[in-house]
Order: sequence, then structure tokens, then C-alpha cells
Amino acid sequence: MKKFGRSTGFAVSTLVAAMSFAGMAQAGITDKDILADQMTTDDVVSNGLGPRGQRYSPLDKLNTETVKELRPVWSFSFGGEKQRGQESQPMVKDGVMYVTGSYSRVFAIDAKTGDELWEYNARLPDGIMPCCDVINRGVALYGDLVIFGTLDAKLVALNKDTGKVVWKKKVADYKEGYSLTAAPLVVKGKIITGVSGGEFGVVGKVEAYDAVTGDIVWTRPTVEGHMGYIWKDGKKVENGISGGKAGETWPGDLWKTGGAATWLGGTYDPETDLMFFGTGNPAPWNSHLRPGDNLFSSSRLAIDPDTGKIVWHFQTTPHDGWDFDGVNELISFDYEEGGKTVKAAATADRNGFFYVLNRENGDFIRGFPFVDKITWAEGLDDKGRPIFKEGGRPGNPADAKEGKKGESVVSAPSFLGGKNWMPMAYSQDTELFYVPSNEWAMDIWNEPVSYKKGAAYLGAGFTIRPMNEDYIGVLRAIDPKTGKEAWRYENYAPLWGGVLTTKGNLVFTGNPEGYLMAFDAKTGEMLYKFNTGSGIVGSPITWEDDGEQFVSVVSGWGGAVPLWGGEVAKRVKHLNQGGSVWTFKLPK
Amino acid sequence: MKLKQRLTAGTLSLLLAGPLMAAQPADPLDSVMWEYTRDIFIGNDDYRFDPDIQVDVPAFAEDPTQVPITIDARAHAGNIEKMVVWADLNPIQHVLNYYPGSGANPKVSLRIKVQQSTAVRAAVLTRDGLWHVGYAQLDAAGGGCTTPSMGNADPYWQSHLGEIQSRRFQSGQDDSARYKFRVIHPMDTGLVDAIPEFYLEQVEVRDAENQTVVRMELSPPVSENPVFTFDLKDQANEYHLWLRDNGGNEFEQAL
Repeated sequence: MKKFGRSTGFAVSTLVAAMSFAGMAQAGITDKDILADQMTTDDVVSNGLGPRGQRYSPLDKLNTETVKELRPVWSFSFGGEKQRGQESQPMVKDGVMYVTGSYSRVFAIDAKTGDELWEYNARLPDGIMPCCDVINRGVALYGDLVIFGTLDAKLVALNKDTGKVVWKKKVADYKEGYSLTAAPLVVKGKIITGVSGGEFGVVGKVEAYDAVTGDIVWTRPTVEGHMGYIWKDGKKVENGISGGKAGETWPGDLWKTGGAATWLGGTYDPETDLMFFGTGNPAPWNSHLRPGDNLFSSSRLAIDPDTGKIVWHFQTTPHDGWDFDGVNELISFDYEEGGKTVKAAATADRNGFFYVLNRENGDFIRGFPFVDKITWAEGLDDKGRPIFKEGGRPGNPADAKEGKKGESVVSAPSFLGGKNWMPMAYSQDTELFYVPSNEWAMDIWNEPVSYKKGAAYLGAGFTIRPMNEDYIGVLRAIDPKTGKEAWRYENYAPLWGGVLTTKGNLVFTGNPEGYLMAFDAKTGEMLYKFNTGSGIVGSPITWEDDGEQFVSVVSGWGGAVPLWGGEVAKRVKHLNQGGSVWTFKLPK
Repeated sequence: MKLKQRLTAGTLSLLLAGPLMAAQPADPLDSVMWEYTRDIFIGNDDYRFDPDIQVDVPAFAEDPTQVPITIDARAHAGNIEKMVVWADLNPIQHVLNYYPGSGANPKVSLRIKVQQSTAVRAAVLTRDGLWHVGYAQLDAAGGGCTTPSMGNADPYWQSHLGEIQSRRFQSGQDDSARYKFRVIHPMDTGLVDAIPEFYLEQVEVRDAENQTVVRMELSPPVSENPVFTFDLKDQANEYHLWLRDNGGNEFEQAL
């Protein structure tokens, strides 16, 4: 009898396993799934909850009435000694969460229970050179692959069920200072990635790889003068020099080590079929060595996903001298004006200005400061180009005695920016952008420097300081049509985490003090907070399973602030590191 | 008494397993892990302990991170599906699967890590579906699997990962030749704190037509900077080696 019972049980479990396997095989993620991500509430399969990156969810079970009842259902530890800088956005598909940890780790977790299904730990060489902590911002999903970039500048595709490596491609040489930290973007069956390393005089680029095989499709350098390539039938073919030719906006050979790293990845707008990638600071930081606009540094680029051609560009800080990377996300959105729909896109730049652009051609529609103080520019002209302020730029070391150290200036925002990498959110209901920003200034001065492969290439010294006694971080609700601030929330420590907004009239974000917070999207009233035990510098998500709405966020203090923090360090030095995912829902 | 217990256990498993099978022989090394590891690597298949499968180990493992072993299954040459090598008392028992193609002599030498004194097994599956289990007892001071690889203290491997040195030797009689290769790889077990597992998983020897002559599947107990010796039946020059690690790195070189 016993024997009979056992064998029956075995047969049933085999059948269940077979069925669930077939189910998963069918559920491979397609381009269609990714394009529809914003409206399919039972999964999160793109960075930004939809390729436009609006970080808006139509879910409303959690709302201004119910959110106070929100409570954690599980917490998952990334483990080990590697507790720092968790800047990831989780993904959820078919009840499985895919999330990255610091030090190039990926975890697959049962989204209901928090049980680990598998983990992948990249074996990193000692020589990696991430400028701004050993972070990662998340995976891309395609077919049955989980794809992410490593700190030694490789793209790795893992099988979503086993975590085993399916393919791995070297995007760039980590010994030259390259690394990958952004979540890759998936567009039309291609994995699109940028590179980090602007502090080491690398040359920024955007590259497309076949999402299934990992074969390279095209590469597009983001510094004027470098040749782009496209692969046709396995052959590498010249595909036009970025910007036409070298030397137009750079002096001498400086374009060869021009920076413009594409370290934050990009967004995609299916309507215009354009990808929007931002570019970082020109190298070196000392701008007196490179008179000119230094294209395409500190810019937004619209790139054709099929060919890698630059369709238009908009430079937020020409001839940047303050480390005002132009990488911040450009979010596509439509609005009505004079009875017409405007196909716009908006971005809140490191330099303190908020820009609204025509996303079809890159034309400037309007721009305005979103921070309280800007010292380096008087404003923007009618093309959106900054009007530089006299004395706003650090002095030329060549003018100084002995040519050693140029005159120091106080500059706001600081090099960490009015807003840094942490993504803002756009609500289709309130038509407001929710911008995680910071009020801080810096002393900055320039020094002579020359390029050496794999070494920091700055030619600048700097220290960062708060501007207010009681806050640095400011979460702002900004009207893109008027530039008006609808409300603000001030935070003692600098804000460094992404934002999420929902149809439930809510805005979610986290702070370095460890709190996941929910605000009324219209009034800014804080309706909920929960301390996750370490600072939040990741981006929250929400999804639905079995009729219940879930919220997840990673917790783990780190990132650039504690590394580069100057006087700001005093405000954050008591914050403890961590590494975990927290998941919340309403009680049944 | 002992024998009786074994018989009882055997009878029970017979009932549970359903189909009738011959009584399975007891482990001559009397290892406490035999039943456990047999279940993992052989399952309920028929097996016998076979002195014709030679497992050579040193009298004592001087360096538990580099223990030379040789498996010689030439007694079953031409009749082998695969060979599975494991060490009973390692935290990761599995060492190697070896699939000698028709062009290979089923004899292989390598170096392994051991955590403590242990039985080392080489189970050879012949085409008739029977497992022939060779074995040896290895004495060791221990700790080979949970000490950091040397590569962890020295970044040499980072710039030389996957570099292969290989040699061919005349093996004496007929046309056959012995090949030996060494590859730079830390072979991290993942059991040392803060060092992720990172090891060669697949080794293939391919001929000029890219046909696989020898295939191996490795586990982390294969020593750091693995050294393998194996015999091929002819001296053709066109063999090349293909390796892939669990990080997705692939390496290829002519032998």
C-alpha cells in the first residue's frame, strides 16, 4: 500500500513540474510585452515601468485612503559581506522577481514568498574601476534570458530558470576605466547598452547586441570624430563618423579621450521609434584644456535603434566645466496645448535646469531652474542654450601663479547635481513630474592634467557642502507646462533613490535614512513611511498578483554620496550599509 | 549484524523502487557517504565494484589543493558511455564527468582538491547499462576546498585567464599519443567567503572537422590552474581544445 501511495505522489508532482515548465516556456518575454509594460499590471519587464521610463502604474488598490495599511510581507538579504550601494530596480515576471545587487550579482526570487530560486555572482577582477561605488541598476528581460552589465564591462545573459550563463560579451576593456552599471534597454530584439568611465578619459558609446545570440549589431561612439560601425552578415562596416568629423568642437587630440560616457542607459519611445541616451561630462573636468562645445558631451542623443545613427542631439551644458553630466533620463510624454497634442520629452539635468523638448526633432520647447540656486548660468536662451555667468567657471590654472592651481569658485548645483541618476516619475493623472533633487554647492578649482590610460582624468579639485541646515534632499512636484513647483518634501540627507507614481494618487520614493515613503501626488502630504533598515538608493516598483497590489524596493545605503560627499559626509556617516529587497502589500 | 542491517535496508529499497533488481553490493571502503553519493551519481542503476577500473591516488595528499589522481578504465575501452569521478567526503562531491569518444583511450589524469581523507570513486557506465565502480582511499590533512585559491592573493590570473599550455608525448606503442595541458583558471569553489564560485565547466577536444573526440564536465573540486593528461589513439596534429567556464568565458587553442 505504502509503495503504491508513494509512486502516485511522484507521478503527480512530475506532471505538475512538466506543466509549469511548459507554461514558463511559453511566457518568454517579447518586444510586445516590453512595449505594453506600463499597462500590464501583473508584471514589470522594463526599467522605468515601460520603455518611456515614466515610472507610472495604473494600479489604484493602493491609494491615498488605503496606503496607511501597507505592510511588509517579506524581506530578502543579498547576503555576504557585500552590503553597499543597492541602486537596482527589480523586475517581476510570472511570479519571479529578478533583481541585481552590488558587485555584479543577480538574484531570482519567488515574488510571493521571498524564497531564493537562484543567484549569479560574477567573478570580478581586482582591477575594476567604478568611479562611484560598485553598484548595478538592474536587469533586462528578453525571451528566457536575464541580461545585465558587470563592473568589468561585460554583458551577461543568464537563463531565467537556472541562472546559468547563456552568453557573455565584452563591451569594453575594464583596464581603461570602463564599467557597466545601468540596466540595459531592450528595443526590437536588441539589447542596448551604454558604458561608464567618464572620469578616466574613456570614449562613450552606445551599442546594440542581438538579444538572443549576443552578437553585436552596431556601435555608436558619443564623442565627435569617432567612427561608428554596423555589422552586416557578420561583417563590420563603417557607419559614419559621429558628428561628421573630428576637431569641430574640440581642440587638438582631446576628442580621442573625450569622455561623454553613456553610463545611465536610455529610454525608448515607440511612437517616434527613437532611443534617448544621455552623455556624461567631457574629459578632463578642467574645461580650459578644451575650448569649444565638446560634442556630444553633456547631451541628450536621439538614436535610431535599427542603425545606431544619431537623429538629433540637445546639449544641456556646452563646454561643461562643472561635471554636469547630461545623462539624466529623458522621459517621453504627451500634453495638450492650444487644442493640439505636443509630443514632448522632459529631463531634469545635473546642471539645475529642467528641459521640455520636442521629442520628434529635439527642439527646445521650454526650460527653467528646478533647484533654488544656480550660480553658473543666468538662464537659458530661446534655443535652450545656457547663458554663462561671468565668474561662474573655475579659473584657468594657466592664469595662476606658477600655473598650478586655478582660482576656486563656489558653484551651485554641485557636481553631484541638482538631480543625479535617480529617476523621476511622470503621472498621467496629475500631469506632474516628481523629481528627486538636492540642494548643495561645491568649491571647485582646476589643475593641470594629462591623460594616462586607466588613471583618473580630472584636472580639478572640489569639495561639496550643504546649502541649508535642515535639508539637502528635495522631492519636487513640477509642472512641465509652467515650471511651477506644486509641492515639495524636504529631506535631511540627500535623496538618491528613484520615484514611482500610481493611479492611486500616490508617489513612492525612499531616502538614505532608510524609509520607504508614500506621498499624496496632489498635495505632497506624507501618508506612509517604513524603515527598511538601511538607506534606500534604488527605485521602487509596483505590480499585481492574484488581485493584490505589491510594492517592492531594494534597501542598501551607498552609491556616490558617501564616496564623494565632502562636508555632506557628516550628514550621512551614521547611515549603515545593507543589501536587501523589501516587498509590501495590504493585509487581506 | 552489519550484513543483516544492510540486507534489511536493501529489501526496503527494493520494495519502494518497485521493479525487481539484483541485490546491490556493499561498499568495500565502508564510507558513510556511499549510499548518499551512489544515489546522486548512479541512482538505482545496477553497479558492481570493479578492480579493473584503476584509481591511482598518492599515499598521502601533501597538498590538499593539488592532489594528482589517475583513472584508468582501459579494461573497458571502446565500451564506455561515460565516467563519473567524485570524492565522498568533499563538500562538493562531484569532480568530473569524462566522455571518451572512439578516438580516445579511457585514461585520464588530473589534480583535485580534497577537504579531508576520503574515498575517491570513478564510476564507469558501459554500453550494457552497468556501472563499474573503481575506488581508492585517499589520506589527507584536509582543507583543500575551503581555502582561498592562490589566484585570490595574486591577480596574475586576471590578465592570463584561460591561457593554455599543452604538450604531446609519444606514448610508446602504436600510433597513440599522450596529451597534457594546463590552463590558468582560479577554479573557485564558492565556499570561501566573498569569492563567488568561478570554475571551468566544459572541456572538449575537437578534431579538424570540429567533431568532439573527448568531452569533460568539471566541477569546482578540480584544482586551480587545472592540469589534465589523456590519451588519444592517433597523433593527428589538428586537435584543438575548447573550454568554457561558468562565467561564460570561452577559450580555444590548438593542442
